[in-house]
Amino acid sequence: MNLLLEIVITFTAILGFGVIFSVPRRALLLGGAIGSSTWFVQQAGLAFGATPVFATVIASLIAATIAHLFARRIRIPVTTLSIPGILPLVPGSRAYFTMLAFVEGDYIQGLEYGVETMLLAGAIAAGLVFALSIFSFGKGIGNRYETGN
Amino acid sequence: MGAKADKVMDICLLAGEIMLTYGAETYRVEETLERMARAAGFSNVHCFTTTTGIFLSFEERKGRGDMMQMVRVDNRMQDLNKVTEVNQVSREFTSGSLTVADAEERLNEIYHAKIHYPLWLIHLGAGVAGGGFSYLFGGGLSDYLPAFIAAILASIGLVEFERYLKVRFAAEFAAAFIGGTSAIFLVFIGFGSNMDQIIIGSLMPLVPGVPLTNAVRDLLSGDLLAGISRGVEALLTSLSIASGIALSISLFL
Repeated sequence: MNLLLEIVITFTAILGFGVIFSVPRRALLLGGAIGSSTWFVQQAGLAFGATPVFATVIASLIAATIAHLFARRIRIPVTTLSIPGILPLVPGSRAYFTMLAFVEGDYIQGLEYGVETMLLAGAIAAGLVFALSIFSFGKGIGNRYETGN
Repeated sequence: MGAKADKVMDICLLAGEIMLTYGAETYRVEETLERMARAAGFSNVHCFTTTTGIFLSFEERKGRGDMMQMVRVDNRMQDLNKVTEVNQVSREFTSGSLTVADAEERLNEIYHAKIHYPLWLIHLGAGVAGGGFSYLFGGGLSDYLPAFIAAILASIGLVEFERYLKVRFAAEFAAAFIGGTSAIFLVFIGFGSNMDQIIIGSLMPLVPGVPLTNAVRDLLSGDLLAGISRGVEALLTSLSIASGIALSISLFL
């Protein structure tokens, strides 16, 4: 019941973010749905005992994958879907507590929160990277060896 | 330089300028411009884009001198609707269903269009996002409304400061300060209980989501310069927000 309420609230919050970023109307609800599923995946991962970073990587990967799939289908730039999709994962509270610890002069605690924030942000980026790599197979982005084309 | 080449150069750069200004990724701008110039029948097309400017060059005819122009992009806002529309125009232009004159007209329309959603709806959206995230980050349902109000105040502060002062980082700083102060005030008069969660909620709408996501994407597609500069841009915004909220906490707590 609690999770259901969280999913509904995530949906509305992502709709609000969609309006802030001026996401086109046809992608608004879709973005909200992707955001909700992202939140669900992350919470499910945490419930099954995954570490926060791992749960975030999986959720981010799934969000970015869905965003890529739908972006091709409805002919829309992929960012209009992937940004709303990963927003629920943003480590806002960690970043805030980092700042708070530094303001209060508790540097060790601040560093601990800061590292956690960086790891979670890196986890989101990693998920995006994986999804992008999957959808760039064959097209190619960046090469290391000239293996012939 | 022929008249057609001049026109095509203009519409390509206009399309690129709109896209880059309103938050498209670097690779998208480069690909779009190269495709449009090729579709117009020019060869040897090269486009180089960073976060703050676009260079485009192509060869008008064999033996004639190559043309090259650049455009400088000062402001970077977030309006993904305009990016989508320019994308649509470039698609139609490339497939040949739009003439050069039509494309120019459409692009000018997009360029001068107002924000996609009315301002009150954007403030409302910021409120809903703020309230929602305050709950998701561990606040109670009783914290929804105060976070909603604080987020709306922060959003109004952001827009109005930017309108009159025209300095982006000052506006973000002020918005974070207003959001934090109103959150502290609301808790002080007994409206809502979890101060931390309400403050986080009120600040969430200020998060630089577009530059952050684009920075990752740019770095991966090999636009290293653009990726790093976008990342720094997102970092500056984050620092503005952090210092605004730190000031309000130091003053009032």
